[in-house]
Amino acid sequence: MRFATRTFLSSFVPFAVLIALGFWAVRASVIETVRDGLRASARDNQVALTREHARNEARNQKLLQGIAEYPTLKAGLQLLATERSASDQARNTVQDQLSEIGDSLSFDFVMVSGAQGEPLAAVLRYAGGFAPVNLIRLNPPVQGFFSADDRLYEVASVPIHEAGVQVATLTVGGRFDVSRFGVPAVLLHKGAVIAAQMRDLAPAQIEKELAACAPAADCEPRIQDQAYLSLPLGLIGAGGDDSYVLRSLQNVDAASAPLQAVLRKLFLVAGLMALGATLGISALSSHSIARPLADVAAHLRRSGVTGELAEFPESRGGAQEIRDLTQGFNHAAKAVRESRERLTRAYVQFVGSLAQALDARDAYTAGHSRRVSEYSCAIAKAMNVPEQDLETIRVGALLHDLGKIGISDLVLQKPGRLTPEENELIRQHPVIGRRILENVQGLEAYLGIVELHHENLDGSGYPHGLKGEETPLHARIVKVADAYDAMTSDRPYRRGKSHAEALTVLKSVCGSEMDPSVVEAFALLGDQRKQQTLLAGTQSLHSLAQAIHSDDISVPAALEMTEQIVVREREAS
Amino acid sequence: MWIKLVTTLLLGAALLSGSDIRGSITIERKLTRHNVTASAGIYQRGTAVELGVDAEGDPLAFERSHVAVYLEGGPSSGAAGVVRASIEQRDRRFVPDLLVIPAGSTVSFPNVDPIFHNVFSLSKPRNFDLGNYPKGQTRMITFLAPGTVAVYCHLHSNMAATIVVAPNRWAARADRNGAFTFKDVPAGTYTVVAWHKTAGTFRKTVTISDQSDAEVGFTLPYVEPTYMKPLAHR
Repeated sequence: MRFATRTFLSSFVPFAVLIALGFWAVRASVIETVRDGLRASARDNQVALTREHARNEARNQKLLQGIAEYPTLKAGLQLLATERSASDQARNTVQDQLSEIGDSLSFDFVMVSGAQGEPLAAVLRYAGGFAPVNLIRLNPPVQGFFSADDRLYEVASVPIHEAGVQVATLTVGGRFDVSRFGVPAVLLHKGAVIAAQMRDLAPAQIEKELAACAPAADCEPRIQDQAYLSLPLGLIGAGGDDSYVLRSLQNVDAASAPLQAVLRKLFLVAGLMALGATLGISALSSHSIARPLADVAAHLRRSGVTGELAEFPESRGGAQEIRDLTQGFNHAAKAVRESRERLTRAYVQFVGSLAQALDARDAYTAGHSRRVSEYSCAIAKAMNVPEQDLETIRVGALLHDLGKIGISDLVLQKPGRLTPEENELIRQHPVIGRRILENVQGLEAYLGIVELHHENLDGSGYPHGLKGEETPLHARIVKVADAYDAMTSDRPYRRGKSHAEALTVLKSVCGSEMDPSVVEAFALLGDQRKQQTLLAGTQSLHSLAQAIHSDDISVPAALEMTEQIVVREREAS
Repeated sequence: MWIKLVTTLLLGAALLSGSDIRGSITIERKLTRHNVTASAGIYQRGTAVELGVDAEGDPLAFERSHVAVYLEGGPSSGAAGVVRASIEQRDRRFVPDLLVIPAGSTVSFPNVDPIFHNVFSLSKPRNFDLGNYPKGQTRMITFLAPGTVAVYCHLHSNMAATIVVAPNRWAARADRNGAFTFKDVPAGTYTVVAWHKTAGTFRKTVTISDQSDAEVGFTLPYVEPTYMKPLAHR
């Protein structure tokens, strides 16, 4: 896992969880508060309704007492009691009166019964008006509820007195509609649901949940996992067990559902915004924390790829830890570099001793490798070869004849001319050298010099016969230095050539064997070296003249030197 | 015999011949409701509810036709003007609800409704109770003393009728235009009485000679009724 990711997660996840939990808690508490408020308002509402209902009942009772004194009705009852010949018409007359009472006072059911409670006449309101009802079939009570034609009627009674004696009972009723209470209501009798406004609940379920509620007490049942509020709206009827209980039954959850939905949406939006903000802040902070580290990591990666142990620039800003880290790296890099340099030095010493051992096999070639190395370095410097290549050339030149280790001394030190077979053997030494160094790690850079320092520009060299630029510049430089040293060295069978002679030979094979630019650089170098040597050792114009005479120095160079000597002498005097 | 009869008739015609009294009833809305609140209340409880069911749809015409007019101070016409009149009990109403008869007339009350009705009155000129009786039966009563008799039904408190018993034969209801005529009134000075259930009694003196007819006009106050919902037909 990346550091930035980890930083981001460790700052974002706790915040996200905290915010989510916080919003959830606030939402729950708000919803609970809303529900409580709703419950309280429902309760107030229902208390008011209950009071109104009770007042209505009282008023109805007074109204009923007034109706009981209605003289027309009394006359009708008397007619009914006394008429024998046309009793049907007498009943019709009373029914007509009852209809009129019902019509003018908005009752839906009007009934008179005799002193012993025997029903005399009754009318019921239908769509078209009042009509007499079959009392035997209907058998309505004097108090409470009865249902006719799928309709529920609530009835109340009042006695009718004539001269202080009860002669009849008037019973009036209205259609009972549970929905008229303004709140969802349910009517119960002996625990059984008689009428309920809520269609979505089965009566059995309501009965079961309301069984625990005391008739006159508030109740908060849970039905179908929804919170309900049930308040007593009134007791109707005889009292005791036979009473009808009217209760409200309001779904508090459903009532608060729209508000809950709004709240949920609100909190969701707010929560998402907070989460988004947290996300942004976390991303920013993790970025700001991880970025210096990422920079350090990138630097280290680059070092890993290039192999250089570049130091970090000293920075004053940034985090202390990062500074410590970079400084630690710098120290480590320095230590590694030093040890690497030590290793390189040790290796170079090893290579040097290897070359010495090689050279030591033959007295005549003693110092050859070192000299070739020096010449090559000088040439390379003169040709402005990049600094880091100089070391390669120096060591490569030291090793260039390493392959000769694998060639018999008999051949190598043979004083006379070599036979073609022996010559062929000698020509193997670059490949042998390569093969030896190939297996040593860290010497790959020198393989080119070791293998290719006998290639010619025109392709006539060995071992591959490469042409021109196909041979690397390093090898071409070493080739010139090698040839020069070989020519100027004494051999058992000949004396070494002078500098000028060797240079002449070199120039003569320019283009065919030697790289002209290298030879030219070497020639100039030779002049400069001589001049410097002379300048250091020559105290007078006399010795300079000797040098010109002995062909050690070219005339233009001598002229230049003359001027320098003159200047120096003038200064000295 | 025939001659005697014809002579008697001619004599009678000569005796009876006189001038006419023509009259008109006008009902004007000139009183504010405030001034007649009490009577308006009675009015609304009574006939006002009938306005809505008036066949012609003109309440003023209805009220004009419910004005009883008769003459006071004239000679008694005796048995000559006596009539037999009838008030039916139909659809829980007395039909007609205003009857103007000369004193001595008899009124019958046939019940044509399928229920019992009752007819009674507590009015001073004639105090009676005909009892409860069913459909098909009729009971009657004779009114001897002049005056206004309010008739009710014990079984139906909203049923009411008025019988105006006039002292002589010159008695009538105004027609829907408010016009009435008393024919062959002997010369003399009379008081013309106009009576309306709620507006009350109005009197005007009129003198009539053999040669010329007389004109008399009444203006009754009227107040805009508060229309009540008519009783639903059951």
